Amino acid sequence: MLLTIYLFISVLFFIVFSAYKAWKYASMPIHSRLELYPVPKEAGRASYGGSYYEEVEWWNKPRQVSHGNEIKDMLQEMLFIKKLFENHQRLWWPSYSFHIGIYFLFLWTICLLIGTAWPEQAITYLINITGVAGFVLASIGNIALLIRRITDHDMRKYTTPQEYFNLFLILAVLLSGIYAWSGNVLFFLPREIIHQLLTFQALQVDPAVLIHLILLSFMFIYIPLSKMNHYVGKFFTFHKVLWENEPNLPGSKVEKELMEAAAHPPATKWSAPHMNQD
Amino acid sequence: MSHSSEIQPKDIAKPVDKLGEVYSLMVLSAPYDKEGMEPDLKEPKDSWKTKFCASLDGFIALDTLVRPSTSEEEDEFVQKFINGLAKLFADSNNNFLQPLQLTMDYCAKCNTCSEACHVFEATNRHELYRPIFRSEVFRKIYKKYFTPGGKLLGKFVGADIDINWESIARLGELAYRCNLCRRCAQTCPLGLDNGTLTHEIRKIFSQEMGIAPTALHTKGTELQLKTGSSTGMNKLAFLDTIEFLEEEIEEKTGRKIKIPIDKKGADFLLTHNAGEYLAWPENPAAFAILFEEAGLNWTLSSSMIGYDNVNYGIWYDDTMARKVALQQFEAAKELGIQRIVIGECGHAHKAGIVSSDRMTYGEDKVRVESCLPLLWELVETKRLTFNPEKNNFPVTLHDPCNIVRHMGIVQPQRNILKAICPQFREMTPHGVDNYCCGGGSGFAVMQSLNFPDFRNKISTRMKFQQILNAFDEELVTNTDIVKYVCAPCSNCKGAIRDMLEYYQATDRFNIHYGGLVELMVNALTTLEQPYLTFTDE
Ligand code: SF4
Ligand code: SF4
Repeated sequence: MLLTIYLFISVLFFIVFSAYKAWKYASMPIHSRLELYPVPKEAGRASYGGSYYEEVEWWNKPRQVSHGNEIKDMLQEMLFIKKLFENHQRLWWPSYSFHIGIYFLFLWTICLLIGTAWPEQAITYLINITGVAGFVLASIGNIALLIRRITDHDMRKYTTPQEYFNLFLILAVLLSGIYAWSGNVLFFLPREIIHQLLTFQALQVDPAVLIHLILLSFMFIYIPLSKMNHYVGKFFTFHKVLWENEPNLPGSKVEKELMEAAAHPPATKWSAPHMNQD
Repeated sequence: MSHSSEIQPKDIAKPVDKLGEVYSLMVLSAPYDKEGMEPDLKEPKDSWKTKFCASLDGFIALDTLVRPSTSEEEDEFVQKFINGLAKLFADSNNNFLQPLQLTMDYCAKCNTCSEACHVFEATNRHELYRPIFRSEVFRKIYKKYFTPGGKLLGKFVGADIDINWESIARLGELAYRCNLCRRCAQTCPLGLDNGTLTHEIRKIFSQEMGIAPTALHTKGTELQLKTGSSTGMNKLAFLDTIEFLEEEIEEKTGRKIKIPIDKKGADFLLTHNAGEYLAWPENPAAFAILFEEAGLNWTLSSSMIGYDNVNYGIWYDDTMARKVALQQFEAAKELGIQRIVIGECGHAHKAGIVSSDRMTYGEDKVRVESCLPLLWELVETKRLTFNPEKNNFPVTLHDPCNIVRHMGIVQPQRNILKAICPQFREMTPHGVDNYCCGGGSGFAVMQSLNFPDFRNKISTRMKFQQILNAFDEELVTNTDIVKYVCAPCSNCKGAIRDMLEYYQATDRFNIHYGGLVELMVNALTTLEQPYLTFTDE
């Protein structure tokens, strides 16, 4: 039963702490504008990096915003890691394999959950496909990323022991998972375990599965504490910094936020002599 | 140290005379690929080495960072830096907290951003100039002092750095080896911004330690707040200058123009970088010619800072930036004008339109826009008519980072050039992917000690290469024809002026530079004489 609780807690921790991280960034005060073009939501102009500032008296012109464009760019980034592909292809291959593998494993988990309620043949196929693709792609990507980091002189120099640890931890989870789940009947065991978990039964597992589950839970707790929670940060770097170009016009949301910020002047003061002169 | 690739961020405290020597540079295109086409780098003077921090790469940008004489002073310096670092992550830095924290938290050390940097590339990838080298030094210090992981686990999380006077001083110098062009940020898969991080390091030095290049602070923002202009030009001198401009216009074009000053009820206030009046008066003069011919209801301002749109504060100090920006809004309001049009100055565009956008609100705020869409409108609507044949020489366009990458004003200037310059050609790359001129973030005006060597030889190198390539065919085969680099930005012009002089490119290959409006006036059908003469550069 302890293992069940540990598993539940780790997943809960993952969700809660990731949300906390997001809340922390979201609740930071409004900042100076630091957008960088192209900004995808600039309808009709995003293709060459233009903005509403290309209009005479831009404040009198209707603002052309394309959320569709923004979502398209966001999806390209999420599904294909577009920036890395465009700017660093050699690293894109391992990184993409790794990330897409993780996406498959996410789908696999959902299929496993569905499978408990809907044990049809179709879901078994889906479980097998997503699971195999996920474990294989993520493991290959992970190993390739590790090799790259170790053999590339420039990357090695900047990599901290913790960053190796992160990759090794996930690799350990993946490899122990492959070992634990690839029994006679593919993915029979995880389906069984999910079932036991959802019905709050004590888990009956062999040592290989036990090790995998312990590592997996540890990973769930560790990720949101480490910079591997970049799935949170990336939303803010793009949406709240690089693509955020809302002008401060009378009556705008920005103006309101600025008024609120002005009501709480900073308590900390800088010390250089010129900072405290009028 | 020998090969630069052996240098690591944690070496920043290393007790060596010079952490990294710049020993090789990107080979330029022909004919600059031969020996003797450019001056060699010089060693810093011994007296500079003992007075300032020349121990990073031999260059000195911070002419106010003086070596201490006692160990107490050293400790005080380090402590001040740490205090400033804490303030960067406190409410004292609310306006940058989110972008700063994100960049501090997430770097994957993937090095995708490295190749985007013209400084790194110009030095054949010198380690000191890798965008994340500086960020990592900073990150390591931050971790060591301020994160639980860094305090508890030290080296494991990368908090392996010694902190002493030398390392902090070198970091200060490093903050002035980056043009804040943010080209690197465009490529980062996580959306991180090493340029902004550099800006934040500069802020600790200025806002907490009182250290900034003289050209930016004492002779920049402070002088501007005292006299009205960072050039030191006061109101009387400004009025004299305008008279001189009117005489020049009459002499050059035969037109008697009364340049409107402090005209109440004007549709908009035009502001220039005051450096233009001194270095390139033909630029503000060209604006006056165009606006008068188009019959616009415009004015200049003679009130405090109303005649100088520069704002060096955006490069190193938020408080100075704010003081200058608010005063500029004030100048428009004094005239009852709600609309400012910024002339050809890139950082003034960014400062006046974007950076100051959230500095105030409501009544205190004035609407600000770029001159480029307005100029294009005059061309597009045929309010002005042009004979492109008058500009029938090779013209290329430099995209000022502030106007283009940071603001998204890409097309108006190109549309104009396509309409009035039959031999217009783009640089590669251009638009939002452009390279900085190498003068960005204050480098163009920082002339003390040996810093101009760094600028001319290293930070402007990529731009010079782009210029050479843009004129590829005509460069050597036809030195008789004029080649024009159009740079609609005062700072970029300053950097390009110095670069062309340093490489003797005007004398040798007839490469000239200037703004956009000069080309427009030169092509006006109504003007009999050429406006551009290319004689006195
Ligand atoms: S901001 Fe520009 S100069 Fe600075 S590191 Fe990035 S690319 Fe290089
Ligand atoms: S591209 Fe971004 S994540 Fe990669 S090294 Fe540069 S700043 Fe770090």
